Amino acid sequence: MFYRISGQFKTDYRSDHALFRVRQDAVLMGIILLFAWVIFPFTANEFVFQALLIPVLIYSLAALGLNILTGYAGQLSLGTGAFMGVGAYACYKLVTIFPEMNLLVAIGLSGFFAAAVGVAFGLPSLRIKGFYLAIATLAAQFFLVWLFEKWAWLYNYNASGAIQVPTIDMFGIRVAGPTASSFVQYYFVLFVVTIMTIFAINITRGHIGRTWKAVRDMDIAAELVGINLLRSKLIAFAVSSYIVGVSGALFVFLWRGAAEPNLFDIPLSFRVLFIAIIGGLGSILGNYLGAILIVALPVILNILPEMVGLEINAAVVEHLNIMIIGALIIAVLIIEPHGLARFWAIIREKLIMWPFPH
Amino acid sequence: MKTYLKTAMLGAALGLGTMVAMPAANAEDTIYAPNLSYRTGPFAATGIPLMNGQRDYIMMLNERDGGINGVKIEYDECETGYSTEKGVECYEKTKSKAVVTQPWSTGITLQVLPKTNVDKIPILAPGYGFSPMANGKVFQWAFNPPASYWDGASMMLNYVSDGDLDTLKGKKIALLHLDHPFGKEPIPLFEAMADKHGFEFLPIPVGLKEMQNQSAQWLQIRREKPDYVLMWGWGAMNAGAITEAVKTRYPMDQFIGIWWSGHDGDLKTVGDKGKGYKSISWSVPVADAPVMADIKKYVVDPGNSLMEDPADINSVFYQRGILISMILAEGIRGAQEHFDTKNVNAEQLRWGLENLKIDDDRIAELGMTGMIAPFSTSCADHTGHAGGWILEWDGSKFAPASDKLTADADAIAVLEEVKAMEYAEANKPWPINEECNM
Repeated sequence: MFYRISGQFKTDYRSDHALFRVRQDAVLMGIILLFAWVIFPFTANEFVFQALLIPVLIYSLAALGLNILTGYAGQLSLGTGAFMGVGAYACYKLVTIFPEMNLLVAIGLSGFFAAAVGVAFGLPSLRIKGFYLAIATLAAQFFLVWLFEKWAWLYNYNASGAIQVPTIDMFGIRVAGPTASSFVQYYFVLFVVTIMTIFAINITRGHIGRTWKAVRDMDIAAELVGINLLRSKLIAFAVSSYIVGVSGALFVFLWRGAAEPNLFDIPLSFRVLFIAIIGGLGSILGNYLGAILIVALPVILNILPEMVGLEINAAVVEHLNIMIIGALIIAVLIIEPHGLARFWAIIREKLIMWPFPH
Repeated sequence: MKTYLKTAMLGAALGLGTMVAMPAANAEDTIYAPNLSYRTGPFAATGIPLMNGQRDYIMMLNERDGGINGVKIEYDECETGYSTEKGVECYEKTKSKAVVTQPWSTGITLQVLPKTNVDKIPILAPGYGFSPMANGKVFQWAFNPPASYWDGASMMLNYVSDGDLDTLKGKKIALLHLDHPFGKEPIPLFEAMADKHGFEFLPIPVGLKEMQNQSAQWLQIRREKPDYVLMWGWGAMNAGAITEAVKTRYPMDQFIGIWWSGHDGDLKTVGDKGKGYKSISWSVPVADAPVMADIKKYVVDPGNSLMEDPADINSVFYQRGILISMILAEGIRGAQEHFDTKNVNAEQLRWGLENLKIDDDRIAELGMTGMIAPFSTSCADHTGHAGGWILEWDGSKFAPASDKLTADADAIAVLEEVKAMEYAEANKPWPINEECNM
């Protein structure tokens, strides 16, 4: 009824390959974009910006990067946190060496450093697969965090060993640093995330994305039909690490404001991996849904008792929170192992049939 | 007449508040003082006694005196689990009505520090945070009384050299520290002192992942044979270090920890073997202090404390929590009297914290004689640089084992100035308090 697709005929290949083959999908997307670009920023307060909107976007972007590697190209990686760190430290060095540089350019460039590191650590993927590759990326994780700690040049010989984001203006508007407004930062992040998402959607739909899927499903078969495995896997590592690196730069510059090396340690990698798995491997939408579940839900659960006027001890709330989120994760994975994105796909299918299912 | 009217109105407001609804009441007649607690997570064992102490002192004031000058303090905890991310979330959540931020971790402090100039909420980080915060002209909104990590480091050096630092010439001093902003804090001071007094300084970092297994570090200590091992440890690292020291038979009397390494719980796991281990501390647990009797009477005995074992009331960390809340309460009291108002706001509390006068008389009035050394703050000095004592583990508890020690104020002041300006430079435009002429 609401999602009726009958009557929407495709008369040429172009419309058959369009991004939104069903009109309702486009309308839905429009509504989501309207919320993201207009309604949320104009109604949110400081807390909502800093604890919900900005982190959800940044974590979604990180999960998107990982999803390209793990979900589309089938290469399991446990080094996401470290690659985010490479992006963040590269961006820090760029803006401190060239203070006049536009922050958008610096963030764009810092992704290339992460991509280069990602490709270097992706080389073993040509020989090893699955769990063994995960161990190799784990090595990247430990090595890079160690490097962030020991290589004092990276944090400008700061005594505390942490990086602090300087105040940065762009076209006369303050975008980073303590005095930047959350409103501006949100739009900055949203802009970058939107661009990256469009890029990711198109690359996964196109020729490169199809070779990735072929490699993921059966690499020997893919090789036999003429796909260059070396090229395909390394492109996946490069694109994935680029996006992850950009998200790392956003993570520190547009949200945290300061970072110490152990921030990029393995818990961050796992967190991003959970978002990608719970959201749904091999989907773009899933990253956003996963980030909402893993990043935003705990925050909401934390403030819920207070909002309804219940007096519960802060530590108890925290323990309850961990238990609820853990139970939800297990429940989601039992009910739908393909993640939240698959959930949405089922709902959409049901809506198309509703109210007359077969 | 005026005060009478005020009291009457306040009473009426209070009555009305309780009548209408509980959540609506806190806007007018209480002061909201949140605490970014960590009763969960990897450091919960150290966090719980500190938080209990902080909470119980405020509860005692509310019960015994009806708050401070008649205004109740609303103590509220926002749980961070010592995670920086949650800490920032808590800061954003509480800042609209909070008069103070108590960030608790060095990571959260570093994160919140630049925002305070914008949000105008004082940070209170007693005995932790960033040592250059002492420079009140640069860090207008940050306070770390009564002593900074550099004070602690300097007191330790004064203790091991018996007050004459030149006797350290040619000796070797190792710093076993957590490889984290907190553990790296004292390094600049030790380096400066090593240059000046000719001792050899050897930092030995312990990674966050190797806190419980420090065999590599202690092998290095055995090889290098330092004359003293000083420790900047936290959480599981303390017990790990003390166990290794026992195992490698490092002489306990040459092993001194910072105040966060003097946690009863950590030492209880080694018990008798840890006898002789020392820790510098700006607080001393005094079992028979009048304030402790009041806390027992008003909070612990009626069952309002979250403390699980009543014996913990004499632990170092519980009593330190009490002192931390005392510093906050004294700041509020000072601000109330100076501005002649009951409900101080964040900006007025800043004045209060900047003009703390905790002298011997005041300490006696508070019933805290012997628990803390006297100190005072000013617009230029946000630390106060109080002295401290060496506490020694006797196998079952920590007991004071030295006279009062003080830090080398001159050496520290120079370094504070340099590092504070460096920070301001790296974060420019950074406002500096020009009105302060001290």
